[in-house]
Amino acid sequence: MSTTTAVKPRRFHPPGLAPLGRIGGSIAPTVLSLGAGAILWEVGARIWNVRFLPPLSDVLVRLAELTADGLIVVSLRNSLINLALGFGISLVFGIGIGLLMGAYRKVEMALDWWVYGLDTAPGLVFAPIFFAIFGLGPEPIIAIIVMYAIFTIIVNTVAAIRTVPAPLIEMGRSYCASDRQLFFRIILPAATPLIMAGVRIGMGKAVKGMVNGEMFIAAVGLGAVIINAGRRFDSAAILAVLFVTIIVATVSVKIVQLVDARLTGWLPATQRRRRANG
Amino acid sequence: MIEIKDLSKTFPARGKDAPVEAIHDLNLTIRDGEFLTVLGPSGCGKTTLLRIIAGLEPWDHGSISIDDKDLRGPGPDRAMVFQSFALLPWATILQNVAFGLDVRGVSKKRREERARELIDMVGLKGFENRLPGQLSGGMQQRVGLARALAVDPEILLMDEPFGALDEQTRRLLQEELLVIWEQSRKTVLFITHSMEEAVLLGDRIVLMSPRPGRIVDIVDVPLVRPRASAVDSIEGSAEFASITSDLWQRLREMQTFRRHHHQDEPAA
Repeated sequence: MSTTTAVKPRRFHPPGLAPLGRIGGSIAPTVLSLGAGAILWEVGARIWNVRFLPPLSDVLVRLAELTADGLIVVSLRNSLINLALGFGISLVFGIGIGLLMGAYRKVEMALDWWVYGLDTAPGLVFAPIFFAIFGLGPEPIIAIIVMYAIFTIIVNTVAAIRTVPAPLIEMGRSYCASDRQLFFRIILPAATPLIMAGVRIGMGKAVKGMVNGEMFIAAVGLGAVIINAGRRFDSAAILAVLFVTIIVATVSVKIVQLVDARLTGWLPATQRRRRANG
Repeated sequence: MIEIKDLSKTFPARGKDAPVEAIHDLNLTIRDGEFLTVLGPSGCGKTTLLRIIAGLEPWDHGSISIDDKDLRGPGPDRAMVFQSFALLPWATILQNVAFGLDVRGVSKKRREERARELIDMVGLKGFENRLPGQLSGGMQQRVGLARALAVDPEILLMDEPFGALDEQTRRLLQEELLVIWEQSRKTVLFITHSMEEAVLLGDRIVLMSPRPGRIVDIVDVPLVRPRASAVDSIEGSAEFASITSDLWQRLREMQTFRRHHHQDEPAA
């Protein structure tokens, strides 16, 4: 080789790659974008004096106050407990039901109308019913979180089982694997990437369900703080809680991504990207 | 010995497609220790035949026995090598090669010992802990071959194993298969659509014709063994050329026949 031509870095990446920014790349675009947004917010809110949109600095001050007096900390703790229980139930039953539906045609026929129907229904419409059944407390909120998260997990798990490559199953059968061995050694690992895609989306939905549920029940958690602040027209507090919610959502999705990366590290990068888009 | 008598298999109609008679009244005896290649154009039922013998596909009529025992599903006496390799992408090469032993309940220590032997035999020493996705197609099929040999089957079922590989890789693997087979002399049923491959590897060639799939002839290959060390001179010989050109004539007749008699059918 006499000369080497420097390969230009590609400017365009397939959509869906690294949704939270930069894995290995520069973080400059992310920082610039967030910084620009913050300045626009701060300056814009001061110049135009938009109602219910206090400047960023006011929101941060309010956040500090709410944190100092302990309200945010206690509410966050309650919210996280609800989230953990609701998401945990969704995870166990979502994957369990999805596996049964994927494996047994009859179970799928019995349940698919329920699952696909409820997956598209807005979960909050069930809030009054859960409130009537469980009363004031964490139970209706947990139920709402489950309504938000579980169906996506079920639908993805069913699809995951359906798309296990037939040659792998045939290979297992040709080597005399039992049904049990087929399931644990071939079907489940092959389905894991798509199952985890559902879990990741379900995690985001669970956070949404948590806030919406708490806003409806308005007794505990971050949602209750939002409602109470709203009654006092305390916009800074509402936006401060929104900040906390976004952090909760980001951190919890990140945790799911870490688990996912551990479970499906074998997946080639191209497939990983395609799955993120799908 | 595998004995197939009056075997027929029809795939039922699907949607608008008419039923397909994949195999029609097929009789075949596969001798112990022979390398039998099955050659024919696509749609002649050769892969269906192999899948039936593997125990992966039910059939409609006829009987199949292996060493006088009726065939009932997959068995430890047979191992299959797949055209698509069918490796587990999350498992290491070592785990993939040990798969058949693993499902049979062989202890971890013993199955890994055996797997290492075979990885060595197919020339993949040093790749034990890689994943299939990190290997080339040729290397992946070596893994597929090692996995099949690891369970020490009496019969090796190979479904166009080199069909997805490039020409150079295919030639290398054909030679290596000859080396391995000429040492072990297992019964091999090898499906291919390549005439040269069928002649180079086989003791006999089963020539199949499509619609419905049936055997038109069984050709003895008079080339001497061992062939592994003499692949180039075999392929350059007049004998090799005459057998392959004869096979080609007959395969071409099948294609012409189809064109004249099935003009109403849409092109495949």
